[in-house]
Amino acid sequence: MRQYLTKRILSTIPLLLFVTFLAFILINLRTSDPAEIALRVNQITPTEEMVQSMREELGLDEPFLVRYKNWIVNSLQGELGYSYVNKKPVLEELQLAIPPTLQLAGATLAIIVFFSISIGILCSIFENRWQDRLLRGFIFFLSAMPSFWIGLLLMWFFAVYLGLLPTSGMNSPQSIILPAVTLSMTFLSTYVRLIRNNMIQNKHENFILYAKVRGLNERTITWNIFTNSIQSSLTAFGMSIPRLIAGTVIVENIFAWPGIGRLCVKAIFNSDYPVIQAYIVLMAVLFIICNLLVDIVVVMIDPRLRREAK
Amino acid sequence: MKTKILIGLIALLLILTGCGQRASDSNSSAGKDELVFASTKDIRDINPHLTSGELAAQNMVFESLVVNTPEGVQPKLAKSWDISEDGLTYTFHLREDVVFSDGAPFNADAVKQNIDAVVSNYEKNAWLNLVQVIDQTEVIDEYTFALTLKNPYYPTLEELGLTRPFRMISPQNFIDGTTANGVSGYAGTGPYTLAEHKDNQYALFTANESYWGDKPSIKNIHWQVMPDHQTILLGLQNGEVDLIFGADGDMLDANAFTALQEQGQYITEVSPPSGSRSILLNSNREFTKDRLVREALQYAINKQTIASGILNDTEQIADTLMSKSTPYANIDLEIRSYDAQKAEELLDQAGWVKADDGYRYKDGKKLSLMLSYNSDNAQEKTIGESMQSDLKAIGVELTILGEEKQAYFDRQKSGDFDLQYSLSWGLPYDPQTYVSTWRVPSHGDYQAQAGLEKKEWLDQTIGEVLVEQDEAARAEKYKQIFTYVHEEAVYLPLTYSVVKAIYSERLKGVGFNVSQYEIPFENMYFE
Repeated sequence: MRQYLTKRILSTIPLLLFVTFLAFILINLRTSDPAEIALRVNQITPTEEMVQSMREELGLDEPFLVRYKNWIVNSLQGELGYSYVNKKPVLEELQLAIPPTLQLAGATLAIIVFFSISIGILCSIFENRWQDRLLRGFIFFLSAMPSFWIGLLLMWFFAVYLGLLPTSGMNSPQSIILPAVTLSMTFLSTYVRLIRNNMIQNKHENFILYAKVRGLNERTITWNIFTNSIQSSLTAFGMSIPRLIAGTVIVENIFAWPGIGRLCVKAIFNSDYPVIQAYIVLMAVLFIICNLLVDIVVVMIDPRLRREAK
Repeated sequence: MKTKILIGLIALLLILTGCGQRASDSNSSAGKDELVFASTKDIRDINPHLTSGELAAQNMVFESLVVNTPEGVQPKLAKSWDISEDGLTYTFHLREDVVFSDGAPFNADAVKQNIDAVVSNYEKNAWLNLVQVIDQTEVIDEYTFALTLKNPYYPTLEELGLTRPFRMISPQNFIDGTTANGVSGYAGTGPYTLAEHKDNQYALFTANESYWGDKPSIKNIHWQVMPDHQTILLGLQNGEVDLIFGADGDMLDANAFTALQEQGQYITEVSPPSGSRSILLNSNREFTKDRLVREALQYAINKQTIASGILNDTEQIADTLMSKSTPYANIDLEIRSYDAQKAEELLDQAGWVKADDGYRYKDGKKLSLMLSYNSDNAQEKTIGESMQSDLKAIGVELTILGEEKQAYFDRQKSGDFDLQYSLSWGLPYDPQTYVSTWRVPSHGDYQAQAGLEKKEWLDQTIGEVLVEQDEAARAEKYKQIFTYVHEEAVYLPLTYSVVKAIYSERLKGVGFNVSQYEIPFENMYFE
């Protein structure tokens, strides 16, 4: 097991290097000169000498690979550079923006877990009956709507029409409801289907037949089906965590949520490269770590895989 | 089965909407002392000597020696001033009853420190001409301050009154004797002070207890950041937002503005014309270097469609680059109204022949032009499409190229465009600051004019007009400048921008400052 863990953890290093290198190349492919951008965002009309001195200040006069190495080494030490726009350390910006996004992602995950499990179970119980079809149809319908549209509809209905919730901002605890619901819509239909299908599949397994033969009540049987079905959904749930965090961009904009998605959009509009780079690395790390954790958890849960890993 | 699902869905929707009762009418204005202003932007760093913050926020906290009003420059922190015969020395007599909100005294010494701080941070403030011509600052006595220029500069007072950079911040907020690397606080002399600021969320301004002038009626201004326009509108309908205010489609697109106007529940107001929105016709490019082509384009565009159809009559049609209410721009120029027939004649005259595909050709080349715009601005795209169809009608192909901000700037600098938008900053920057930028090669205006025969003369005349002391001579020079660019047809005037305000009925006293970037919160009150 330990050997497996070491192997898995070590294998993330080349992956991270590859992803960051790719991101670095892509950003450097842009035709605009970052030194000039750094001057222009401060309303300075760039002259040749100023651009040159800014290039030196930002270390842009070094060869490509040296810059990449510097960037990686500095990032590992937590020095992510300074924003071109407001001159604040990028790390500080991230520290401000990450907690709201984590809150939002957490609330969304709770909604996804609760509704996908309950609706998934309901659907499997009423397999192919009208209740199943109605629920699935409704969820599918909601998921098919783009999130900016559904977000505005929800905002209009619950805030303006019913006057129950605030439209946007982060001023009260209820503020998180609408953005979290909006964000969960995109994921809900996938998980409802996943759980429903797994439940239905397991229903026809022999161990359920035996349980029925033993005369266990309906509730216990459903519970048994559920615990066996949830395992394969775990991987998907695990991987949806980084996807959730990366996918908050639009929802954060609509609901004026001061998270990392908005930070990234603003950085892109301003060509604030240090912030964009930091965002990319953060997301890459997040995806790789979540992937790693999910792999490890799956191996630990499943006795067959555990044996293989040894 | 499908019908069953449909019926089920409809039933669900009916239930959901049926149980709805509007609950948001309970907001009462009695004793309301907070105004919520929604903006797509955070106030950022409002250091008055830098350009990184929101102008409207800087204007609430910081004041200048003088103020620009529709009646011209008026006293503010200076009671009066004298200008020397040679136009080089301005002596200001300061108010004696002013203190900064941190208790520091406002006097000639504070003024000197502020102006010195602006001038010493030359790189960041050189965009303003006045910064380039200031020679010396001097404390004469406690409440008398003198400013000496290198050469006469007629818009000196106007530029001192701008929202930035010549606004006064407490010297106690300086870091190492300067404001160039940030400030330790935001103590000004203005009607409001910044009480709280949460990055990208909100800023809270409270009335300045020690304000020397009339204290504002509304105690608190809550500047709420809402990046999405639709959210702002819903916030207004929900009573969470009291005021939306802005120019250039920044805060409100024209459709939303008209929709709210028709609802009648809100008061909508439009300021007098401010900035100028025009299209640069690049005189330094293969096709548009021919004056006849540029002239033809002037007649080919239906501005009425743009003003009414796209901007919903929230902006006025522009016949000339500068509106007649702009200083020195009230001159008679030949107006080129929409006339497709005339446009076609001019193109015929220029040797462009219509082929079977409906487009014009000359020497085997198709008359194809490119309009470049900043893709952040949705309105500019729609305007471009309207122009595209107008030009197609006279046999000119127009491709519209939207790029992100920096790429757009790069194109501006290199002159690699046939058509590009040009926006002036509006009063009180117009006309002097606008024409002054025409001389800067990194501006699209410079590039578009680069092919003109008398470009050198133009730049020189602009340089002269800014230092011209004689009013009549100055007017004459402006006339020459505006007449020349008009005759050469390098600008295709579209509309004059206006500031739009939408607010709830209980809010009163909403007006406009001369600058389209300022919001006069201090005059507003609730009824």
